[in-house]
Amino acid sequence: MTALFVHPGRPAVSNGIQPGGLLLLLSAALFCSSCNQSKIAIYRIPKESVAIETSSGSLVPAPPAMLPKWTVPSEWKEQPLSEMRLASFKAEGSGGQSADISVSSFPGDAGGIESNINRWRGQVHQAVLDGDSLAQTLERVTVDGVPVVLVDVQTPEGAEKPDRVIGAVLRTADRTWFVKMTGAPAILQAQAENFKQFINSFRFPNQPEASDESVGSGKAKSTNDK
Amino acid sequence: MTSNLVRFFKPLASLKLTIVCLACAMVLVFVGTLDQVQIGVYEAQLRYFKSFFLYFSLPGSQLKIPWLPGGYTLGGILLVNLVAAHVSRFKLSWKKTGILILHSGLILMLVGQLVTSVFEEESQVQLDRGQTKNYSESPYLDELAIIDSSGANTDEVISVPASRLAKGRSISLPEAGLTLQVNDFYENAALVGSNQLPSENYPHLRVGPMAVAVPIPRTYKQDERNQPAASVSLIQNGQQIGSWSLASGFPQPIQFRAGPKPFAIVLRPKRYYRPFSITLEEFRHDRYAGTEIAKNFSSKVRLVDPSVHENREALIFMNHPLRYAGLTFYQAGFGNNDATTVLQVMKNPSWLVPYISCGMMALGLVIQFGMHLISFVRRRVIA
Repeated sequence: MTALFVHPGRPAVSNGIQPGGLLLLLSAALFCSSCNQSKIAIYRIPKESVAIETSSGSLVPAPPAMLPKWTVPSEWKEQPLSEMRLASFKAEGSGGQSADISVSSFPGDAGGIESNINRWRGQVHQAVLDGDSLAQTLERVTVDGVPVVLVDVQTPEGAEKPDRVIGAVLRTADRTWFVKMTGAPAILQAQAENFKQFINSFRFPNQPEASDESVGSGKAKSTNDK
Repeated sequence: MTSNLVRFFKPLASLKLTIVCLACAMVLVFVGTLDQVQIGVYEAQLRYFKSFFLYFSLPGSQLKIPWLPGGYTLGGILLVNLVAAHVSRFKLSWKKTGILILHSGLILMLVGQLVTSVFEEESQVQLDRGQTKNYSESPYLDELAIIDSSGANTDEVISVPASRLAKGRSISLPEAGLTLQVNDFYENAALVGSNQLPSENYPHLRVGPMAVAVPIPRTYKQDERNQPAASVSLIQNGQQIGSWSLASGFPQPIQFRAGPKPFAIVLRPKRYYRPFSITLEEFRHDRYAGTEIAKNFSSKVRLVDPSVHENREALIFMNHPLRYAGLTFYQAGFGNNDATTVLQVMKNPSWLVPYISCGMMALGLVIQFGMHLISFVRRRVIA
């Protein structure tokens, strides 16, 4: 860019500098300064646990800002978190069998309890059921004032690889929580009581009452909105 | 030397140039305002006012042809034009004091606007009751953060702006010989249940056992946010460490190891970390008695800055923001049944400039017209 201004042997100012050159220089300076936003940055921050990391932009559906409190059965071992799991455990039984337990959460109704339970049914090769028939297979309880749907479904008799899912869907005011235990039917039978105790131990902090305003919206409102 | 300066600045001081620039500015404001309806305020600002040129493409061609100077170009030319006019026609005289102050105010305003547009930082912090955060997040921009958590007390974050991500692009990271390979990228994506895909061939990224991200058109709506999704691989010294599908709509860090070091990777709204933290103690949404009409929104927060032993409460409400460390926190929104507050965080190093420049321009006008008035009155008295 400076080459525009260099004319050897003549003073810089009177050497026919084009006004356009100055404008070009100004533009280049502006352009360079506006590039800052697309630079890769490295910075250090005080260490924060992954559990606290789970907040997000104000207007996006987000993982929960605060996890509920729960008591993990002593037989369960914590597993590394992966993808959408907020908690992950493993329970080992005899003969190398193990049960996998996961906790995940989505804003709003997460597509509906019915469709999610039918998806679990599909994973153990059971038919999709409609509202009433499905309701008959479910157990409904309340934990810490939160309605909970309990599911227990396994592969049909004679399946090549028997599998079972024991799950719970907890519906708080603004989120749906899924707790799911999968594995061979025998180990799940042995862990069923632990699973129930785990669900009963859920305690939700600052549980707001459900209202049309917050359920399923996952959005913050502007104070300028009428 | 002076004559050289005058000769140099004279063509730049052309009044015709001023008129052309002002005419272009009128067209720019007009088309920008019309387009704002379609593309929203933020995008309109970027395209029309924080740009050098407006372009159009011929149908079927990738070639971009500029057709109107953008805000940066016009502002820059007007600034140079005004400065040049002063240099080339400058005569130190008491009679010109008003004009000099007036124009200095105008120059200050143009420079201040330039500084604002380049260095301004807009973000938001969303806090649930009792929650503490030491960062705010951009309402528009996203980042791919690769977090080295091997440090004892600190994490090192490599932040790659989402604007750098594009399908097939390979990005060298300035750390540990890491290269980021972008396998796929959606500028905006919706998260849906994996069973909701029309077919397995429908373009999607599997971001978890229960959800997939599908590409959707970019949104320009004021109350919506673009949520990118990406499939990326990390390569260290020619060896692939792992591949992940990430979605900004579900910014959950995924942990992995690169050699002995523990890392996490996440696509999330761009974060601005601060050396202090803010805790929401109480959010109030007062209504007029017997109605749902809002009377007052306020957030009682606790500000803690260990570096200067600051630990105090602050109440943020309408027209009463919290100003701290060059940042201004405004009450902007709420949610979660009034259990969550949203504060707008503005960093604008030149926020005082418009006040000063307007003051200068007002003073310049008063002096200039005052002098005319006095001389006019004197002439009448003499007559």
